[in-house]
Amino acid sequence: MSAAHFLSRAGWRVTVYDSGVVASGATGSADGAVSVASKKPGPLMTLAVAAVRFYEHLAETGVLVDEFISRSTFMIASQSDELDVLESQSAQLEAAGVPVRLLKGQSLAETVGAAAPSALAAVEVQGEGHAVGYRVVERLRRLGGFTIRRHCRIVGLRQSGGSVSGVVTEQGVEPADAVLLAAGLGSMDFLAGSGLIRPRKGQLIVTDRAGRDTPRFPGPLMSCRYLVSKGSHPAGKLPESRSLGLVVDPLRTGQFLIGGSREDRDDKDTADADTVASLLRDAVALSPSLARLRVIRVFAGVRAATRDGMPIVGRVGGADNVWVATGFEGDGICLGPLMGHLCQQMICGRPADQDISALGADRFGLKLADAA
Amino acid sequence: MSDREVLVIGGGPAGVAAALEMARGGLKVTLCEQGPRLGGAIHRQPDDPSRRVRVPKAQRQRWQALAEALAASPVTVLCRHMFAGVEGSGAVLLEDRASGRIVTRHPAALVLALGGVERATPVPGWQLPGVVTAGGLQMMMKSTGRAPDGDVLLAGSGPLLVAVAAQLTALGKAPVAVLERSTSAVSLRALAGLIRAPAYLWEAAGYLLPLTKAGIRLQRGASVRSIVPAGDRLSVTIVDTIGLEQRLVVDRVALHDGLLPNGNGTTPAPNGPFTVLAGDCREVLGGVAAIADGRLAGLAVLARLGQAAPDLAGAAATLRRERRTQSALNTLFDYSGSDAAHLPDDTVICRCEGRTLGQLRGMLAAGDRVSAREIKLNGRFGMGACQGRFCAEWVAAFVASQRDGQPPQVAEIVGSRWPVKPVPVSAFVDLPPSSPSE
Repeated sequence: MSAAHFLSRAGWRVTVYDSGVVASGATGSADGAVSVASKKPGPLMTLAVAAVRFYEHLAETGVLVDEFISRSTFMIASQSDELDVLESQSAQLEAAGVPVRLLKGQSLAETVGAAAPSALAAVEVQGEGHAVGYRVVERLRRLGGFTIRRHCRIVGLRQSGGSVSGVVTEQGVEPADAVLLAAGLGSMDFLAGSGLIRPRKGQLIVTDRAGRDTPRFPGPLMSCRYLVSKGSHPAGKLPESRSLGLVVDPLRTGQFLIGGSREDRDDKDTADADTVASLLRDAVALSPSLARLRVIRVFAGVRAATRDGMPIVGRVGGADNVWVATGFEGDGICLGPLMGHLCQQMICGRPADQDISALGADRFGLKLADAA
Repeated sequence: MSDREVLVIGGGPAGVAAALEMARGGLKVTLCEQGPRLGGAIHRQPDDPSRRVRVPKAQRQRWQALAEALAASPVTVLCRHMFAGVEGSGAVLLEDRASGRIVTRHPAALVLALGGVERATPVPGWQLPGVVTAGGLQMMMKSTGRAPDGDVLLAGSGPLLVAVAAQLTALGKAPVAVLERSTSAVSLRALAGLIRAPAYLWEAAGYLLPLTKAGIRLQRGASVRSIVPAGDRLSVTIVDTIGLEQRLVVDRVALHDGLLPNGNGTTPAPNGPFTVLAGDCREVLGGVAAIADGRLAGLAVLARLGQAAPDLAGAAATLRRERRTQSALNTLFDYSGSDAAHLPDDTVICRCEGRTLGQLRGMLAAGDRVSAREIKLNGRFGMGACQGRFCAEWVAAFVASQRDGQPPQVAEIVGSRWPVKPVPVSAFVDLPPSSPSE
């Protein structure tokens, strides 16, 4: 939807084809963190910094006004063996130009003490933000300028002479001068190769609104274990906690979002009590006041995870007018608008504002499937 | 007896009848009820046995028979156990409200006899404190044996309005007025249907005679147009058939527009046990039918689990008869509610999240055909604690009325996710991991 927005502003006539409805994939089930804090050091962290700045820019210029809230993320170490992870991630963030503040003793007590009384140390990662994925999509939809075709599955691409000349829908062939595959796991339906992207399920919990007796949360609290679960930090001595990474996020509505899991499976319609109970146990251990709230909803979503943990954004081999943007795993909400913008620049033949060569489809030799 | 446990959720007539049928058939049955006592909505038992609301004799006898049979049966009864849903791996989740913990069960079959959902259609001001449902008011009276304080206005449509009015009157607290939206006269067809089930006529007479004697105003063709606060009371604008408006100041407004089957958390879960719905939860046919339907649900489970099952042709015949009676009865009422076209934009539709009709209209205004999922996510209709139980039907109907045909499915707005009702975070903390996965 971001690419559609920017392409339509660049003068293209754009149609978004969705096999279901918009925001029905991971976008509709995401936590909304626009955050650098948990990113893997390297190109992904650099791009995330630029992505947060881009959100700020979109909010300032009115595109995403009211949909992006600036705030800090708080990485919390509550066991002594998590202190190393905290320090190392904090140093990496600082190196990437992210303002961080180490909280210990008095400053720790004042900032996160009420919300997480057992924290040993914390790092405040400043200049982060929150944007609800489906609301961003809704804003872009309302701004309009492009057509949305819901429940319109693309069954193939019409190819001729090294280019794609149209998309094949169940209703017939529709001409196209350029195609961007941004269908998450479904993008691979059009590309040769298998096992490149796998589903990674996540489960999230929503509570009811906190009462006045709930202490103030300064921002989302991210347990250092989350970094281990996400694979953005070497596990070191920490036990692999079955890929549950705790983030307790105070929402604008007064509710809390508690997540999440990373599981190599794709049953996105089910949440299981075992995972939910484990997350809630960890959440209450970190923030005992949460025990007074009620769970109103639990849900799951499936992320598209690549083999090397990096998104795939760039031109696809086998045709000169097909691009792909997929494999964002849990970072799609953060990176989405920037990547939409960069895709527009690539499709328009202009140099991209950011170096995304590390995300290129060529690193896997990705080509259009013959049958596409 | 088979050692495979079957679970029945809901201690009303359908649940008890199902439990008895399955216990007779040799199954090990556990009956769970969220409240402190069995009885369901219709046979709600009082907190203090000496303070009891008067109910029709036939109704009382039906429950007495069920309760006695249950006491003599091997059925295990768990009160204060709320059904929280079937989770992803197929386990049934129960919130044990005494211990404050979630407990899991893996039954061979599950009978859901959760009862119907009371409907109230939106009117401006229905979200105000002091506005309740007539069914909710009746539950409160059955539990406490007391009428509420202050002046009560009953409005909407359906036989429950007169029943509640009669119960209020019997407790010495006659309602200020009873407004029945319907103007339909008793047709010959309806009368024929009702005469075949004289118990309903007796029941109606039992309610109406005391009301007439007490001089209660029963106004047909009248409905509530809006409710606004008036000090610590409620000022209610009433409109009659010819459009004349009148104002009443009361302390409480009890609304009711019939009952709906319960679609919340009743869809069979992917990995869950064999599931059967019973009673008003499946089809709103009332208390007599609920017993027959519960027995039939028990029969379906027995058959599924390969147990010998009795012939229940009588129960099936009861169900058919009650269906005819209910459909005759329904012609006397008008559950349509206010015409949405005339409702102002600030009418609250989703009371959990405070979402208004204006916001819903705004979402539909654009040329682009937004889906039910988008209406839910971005409009937040159905995103509250009730997961759309009380607004989804109305939202779907309104969206359909704005678009020729192609209504969204209520199921796209109502949550099918557990927990079916909010569960304390603390209840999960003690849940032992089902399998070591670390």
